[in-house]
Amino acid sequence: MSMKPPVRIAVLSLAHGHGYSYSEAIQGLPNATLVAIADDNEERGKAAAERYGVPWEADFRQTVQRDDIDAVIICSENNRHKEMTLAAAEAGKHVLCEKPLSTNVADAQAMIDACARAGVQLQTAFPVRFHAAVVALRDAVVGGRIGTPLAVAARNPGRCPHSWFVDKELAGGGAVIDHTVHVVDVLRWMFDAEFTDVFAEIDTRMYDIPVDDTGLLMMRMSNGLPVSLDTSWSRPASWPIWGGVMIDVIGEDGVISLDAFNDNLHVSRDASSDDHPVMPGAQSNYAFVPVEHSGDPEMIASFIDAVQQGTDVLVTGVDGLKAVQVALAAYESAKTGTMVSIQH
Amino acid sequence: MTAEIRSNVSTHENMQDRPVRFAIAGVGGMGGVHARSLAALEESDLVWLVDLDLPVAERLANDIGGKATTSMEEAFSDPSVDAVLVALPTFLHRQAVELAASHGKHVFCEKPIAMTTEDGQAMVQACKDAGVTFMVGHVVRFYHENAKIKTMIDDGSIGEVATVRTQRLSPPVMQRRPWFADLEKSGGLVLDLLIHELDTLRWYFGEVKRIYAHGLSYSPIQKKRDYVMVSIRFHSGVIAHTEASWSHATFRTSIEVAGKTGLIKYESEDSSTLVLERTKELDLNVPTIPSPSYARPSSNQPHRIEVQHFARALKSGDPVLVDGEEGLHALRLSLAVLESVRTGEPITFDEQGQRV
Repeated sequence: MSMKPPVRIAVLSLAHGHGYSYSEAIQGLPNATLVAIADDNEERGKAAAERYGVPWEADFRQTVQRDDIDAVIICSENNRHKEMTLAAAEAGKHVLCEKPLSTNVADAQAMIDACARAGVQLQTAFPVRFHAAVVALRDAVVGGRIGTPLAVAARNPGRCPHSWFVDKELAGGGAVIDHTVHVVDVLRWMFDAEFTDVFAEIDTRMYDIPVDDTGLLMMRMSNGLPVSLDTSWSRPASWPIWGGVMIDVIGEDGVISLDAFNDNLHVSRDASSDDHPVMPGAQSNYAFVPVEHSGDPEMIASFIDAVQQGTDVLVTGVDGLKAVQVALAAYESAKTGTMVSIQH
Repeated sequence: MTAEIRSNVSTHENMQDRPVRFAIAGVGGMGGVHARSLAALEESDLVWLVDLDLPVAERLANDIGGKATTSMEEAFSDPSVDAVLVALPTFLHRQAVELAASHGKHVFCEKPIAMTTEDGQAMVQACKDAGVTFMVGHVVRFYHENAKIKTMIDDGSIGEVATVRTQRLSPPVMQRRPWFADLEKSGGLVLDLLIHELDTLRWYFGEVKRIYAHGLSYSPIQKKRDYVMVSIRFHSGVIAHTEASWSHATFRTSIEVAGKTGLIKYESEDSSTLVLERTKELDLNVPTIPSPSYARPSSNQPHRIEVQHFARALKSGDPVLVDGEEGLHALRLSLAVLESVRTGEPITFDEQGQRV
């Protein structure tokens, strides 16, 4: 059996900060090569290109045409996912696209269709699915460790990311579209079931921004399981970590509780003003420094393996679409004050 | 009749220079705790201990003082008694409170006030007619952390509140005390446990606008496990999520309040000042997860502070923190949660807290 060549990757845009951790993950893999960074934000793109020792390109449309690229990772603003995915697919490049897959159902469907037509893979970037503790959670629940699951209380709180995340046009919404999709994806995967209805309270209560920052979703799955999910950007800027993903599964024989980003060094420093490399974004002198960046490297490795081996990606465009549907139904519910059914 | 009752009522002038004299109805469980508080506090004396299980009442009376009886009538009609503490199963509350009021006794009644708003309203009215003070035992308001959080919310420590999460998680109680799971007798998890969260949240944030809930209270499994989670929208705009459980292995509570300029978080397990891990029963050849027990020993326990607050209010003439109307509001919210669980529909309230 001959060794297959490494998968050659271009990262398209670093508007979403995950682009950095994905780039680092690629550079840590033996079977992948980061070839280029494309970003129409010159300052951001050049800085990243220099950091990773690859060329910067201004126009993603030229980048996707390069013959020395097999796949792209898209970390742009949410509403630009579609044009980048379509361009990459037409150029025959596989796509790993940041979540949420799109800001509306039509765009997601167009992306899925374009990749299918072009015969390229489309993976939605749901790194939480690949987090070791989340995998262990699924194993425990599916393995019957808590008996029959009865209910799920989940939360994905965070600091307000500001920037384009609070632009309705670019992001497609606020906290709800940003923080619904991870947990919805994990639960769809864990229970092999769809979300059938949602009732939501959504509002802008913390920041002077044009999108929602506070969201609470009360949902039900096709297996009958009730699920609540808090999506709020409820962490102050001074909170010691960006946020978290917490899932409590209540079962007939027990309860299992995930707090995926709870494994941190608790660091307190007296030096006040200077920024610190291991405490990025922290606006206080007390911060949690993750012991391990679990999830991102495993997800990138999985995508690279699928592209290299020609096997199906584990998280598809359809998975991305289903998660977006739930967030959009939540917005609809909050607007009408009623429970909204989700059609599949 | 009413005038005659009112002439029997002890005024705060009567009681200001001496302990308030109590009869207590129900001395198992919570009642036993209250009986010990009433006997120990300098603001109160315990005169009568009433329980249908006479030996239980007698044993406790021998220990802490007071006379034991099975007759509420005998204890409540004693002219030397100023006030009655009702710690009976919920479905007996109305009968006991109305009897106490008919004898002109001030009343402290355990939560929930009643099983139905009709019963609760009748109890409030009976106390109003008799001119007696009526307090409902929502003890959670007297927990140090909750009182402190109330102060910090009110003084603007974290700015305008945006969203809140609370939990009250407990092991299944129905194996030991089956009447707790009987929706007809106790109202189950929602009226026993979740009502604490509903009362405290309403105390913090005012009247509720909308409730939507999921839970197991009407499923077959409710006889051995229960769990309820609730979305609450307040008229102030605050969005809250609260949970109550009889499905966990250890008892714990948590609260997180996120505001415009800050966040308050409290978790009872993280705040333990004493943790007990037993190794004696542990089979060291089999890997297991030991069940530690967490505790916060305090020289000033909330249940005692609560009863002391009531006695002090009677002596000073000041209002009680949780009157009958407050207890009724908590009951209305609890019944709305049960209805939402049953129907899958949101329940809405007007700005006075009445069902729309």
